[in-house]
This record gives sequence, C-alpha cells and structure tokens, in this order.
Amino acid sequence: MAWKKGDARAFEEIVNMTMKNAYAIALGFVGNVEDARDLSQEAFMAAHRGRESFDTDRPFFPWFYRILRNRCLNFIRSRSSRGEISMDVLVEKECPRPQPDGVLMKKEDSEALWKALFGLSEEHREIIVLRSFHDLSYRELSEALDISEGTVMSRLFYARKALYDILRDRFERRCAEKDE
Amino acid sequence: MDCNRMEHDGMRYIDGEMTPEQAIEFERHLADCRTCRRSIGELGRIDALAGRMRIRDPMDSFWEGYWKSIYRRGERRTAWILVIAGVIATALFGLVEIGRNFGPVTFVKVSAAVLAAGLLLLLLSVVRERIHQKKTDRYRDIIR
Repeated sequence: MAWKKGDARAFEEIVNMTMKNAYAIALGFVGNVEDARDLSQEAFMAAHRGRESFDTDRPFFPWFYRILRNRCLNFIRSRSSRGEISMDVLVEKECPRPQPDGVLMKKEDSEALWKALFGLSEEHREIIVLRSFHDLSYRELSEALDISEGTVMSRLFYARKALYDILRDRFERRCAEKDE
Repeated sequence: MDCNRMEHDGMRYIDGEMTPEQAIEFERHLADCRTCRRSIGELGRIDALAGRMRIRDPMDSFWEGYWKSIYRRGERRTAWILVIAGVIATALFGLVEIGRNFGPVTFVKVSAAVLAAGLLLLLLSVVRERIHQKKTDRYRDIIR
C-alpha cells in the first residue's frame, strides 16, 4: 500500500474516500459541526503518523475508527468542546424503514432525537449512532467496539431503553394524539 | 422488566438478526409475555425513529478545504515541534552557560533563567494534570 510508504497522494485518496463517514461519526460523539470537523481531521493526521502500525491485510476504516473514537473520547473528557450541540443535523434516509403505529415523523422529532442522544452516556450514544444512522450489523459493531456480540445486544438494549426514557413523554403524547 | 429475553432476543428481533424460525419462536413468546410485548413496542419505536435517520452531509463548500486543512495541520505540528525544541535547546544552553561561568548578571542570563523557569513550570503543570486525569479518567480502560 503506497500510503504506508508515506505517499501523500495515496493518503489524500484515503481521506477523500472516508472523510464523510469520519465526520459523521465524530459528530455523533461531540454533537458540534466544527468540533467534529476538527476531530476528524486530527484523527486523519494521527492515522498518517501511525500508519506503520496499520495492517494492510485488514480494512482501513475499523483501524481508523479506533483512532477517531479515542480522539473524540479524549476531547469530551478534556471538556474543551464548544459546548453547543449543532441542530438541523439529522435527515431522513433515502429509503427509510416502514414505521410502526404511533411513530409519525416530524422535523421536531428528529431534533428531539438528536438532543436526547446527548442525554445518553457516550457509550450508549455511540452504539445507537453506529447501529441506527450507519446501519452497522452486530458483527461490525462487535469489531468496531471490540466487544462480543452478546455485549453489543446488551448495550443496545440499555441504550435504547435510556433513549426511550428520555423521549417517553413525546411518544406517549404522540400516541394520545393518534387515539384522539 | 422481569423477563430476561428482551436483552438479547428482543434486540435481535428488532434488528432483524434472527432467522425466520427464531423470529417465529420469539413471536410465540411475545404472545404470552406482556413484559416483552410492552418492551418491544417501546424499544421498537426508538429503533423505528432512529433507524430512519442519518447525519446530514454538509454542503460541498464544507469539504473543499478539508484536505488542505489536514495538510496545514501537519505543517503546523511540525513547526511547533521545531519551535519547542529550539526553545528548550536555547534555555538549556543558557543554563549550562550560567553554570559554567556565572559572572555578572546580564540580560541574556536573566532571559535564559526566566525561560527555563517557565518551561519547568509548564512541565510540572502538565505532569500534575496528567496524574489527576489518570486518577479520575472514566475512560482509563480504553487503549489510546
């Protein structure tokens, strides 16, 4: 792999291929557009500096994900974030899943969901973001987070439960509106 | 929640990670278990809401300077390393010179002493902060 030998052009290609995912993942951690851009760029720099440790037989992104994740967690821990959560960040997927009864999509729902995510622990927010927004399978989650599939399920369960508890009033109000 | 099937089977059911046979068996369980039925309703709504969303792609202008900014970060990092190395070398040289030949107090000697004291203070501050972080770090189990 040319990048591993220090080829800047090859590195640029890798950045161009993965920057959107990197930014979206960082945004899921820190919630602020500017912080997410800075952190994803710093993670690319760190990956470039540490390219010697990259195993070319394995895919790039899971390896890079660890670097990005650690950058984001360090950043949250250092409390140096801008302290603001950017809004109007979520949009509907092109082919959204069918909705069960009681869930009608409104703009304020996506805003409420985004805000609620930042009421969760980083661990819970991370797994919801990866599973729901990035559609990672259990196996992919297990590899990215370096946990067993059993732990993936448990973490998802508690994360969804915590998220439901935050959004409970909204869901109940919506069901009541529907019943009327 | 009294039933312990939600934590694993419930999640696999919601996420479509069950075989059709496993899903049918779990649906039979749901028909009999009010706790799981309620949980599937609640957590399924969360999945339905979150699962239809994704993070918006920023405008093209956002990405235009992205690569250049990474490149500039690299340059600035190298520059900072050189500046810091130069400052440390200058301070050490000054201290060594003072030690070798103290003589009269001159502006250069005072500057070197002030620089060295500042660097030492910075170093102590960083070490103290790192020790404090290590003791109180919620993420200390994470390999960085």
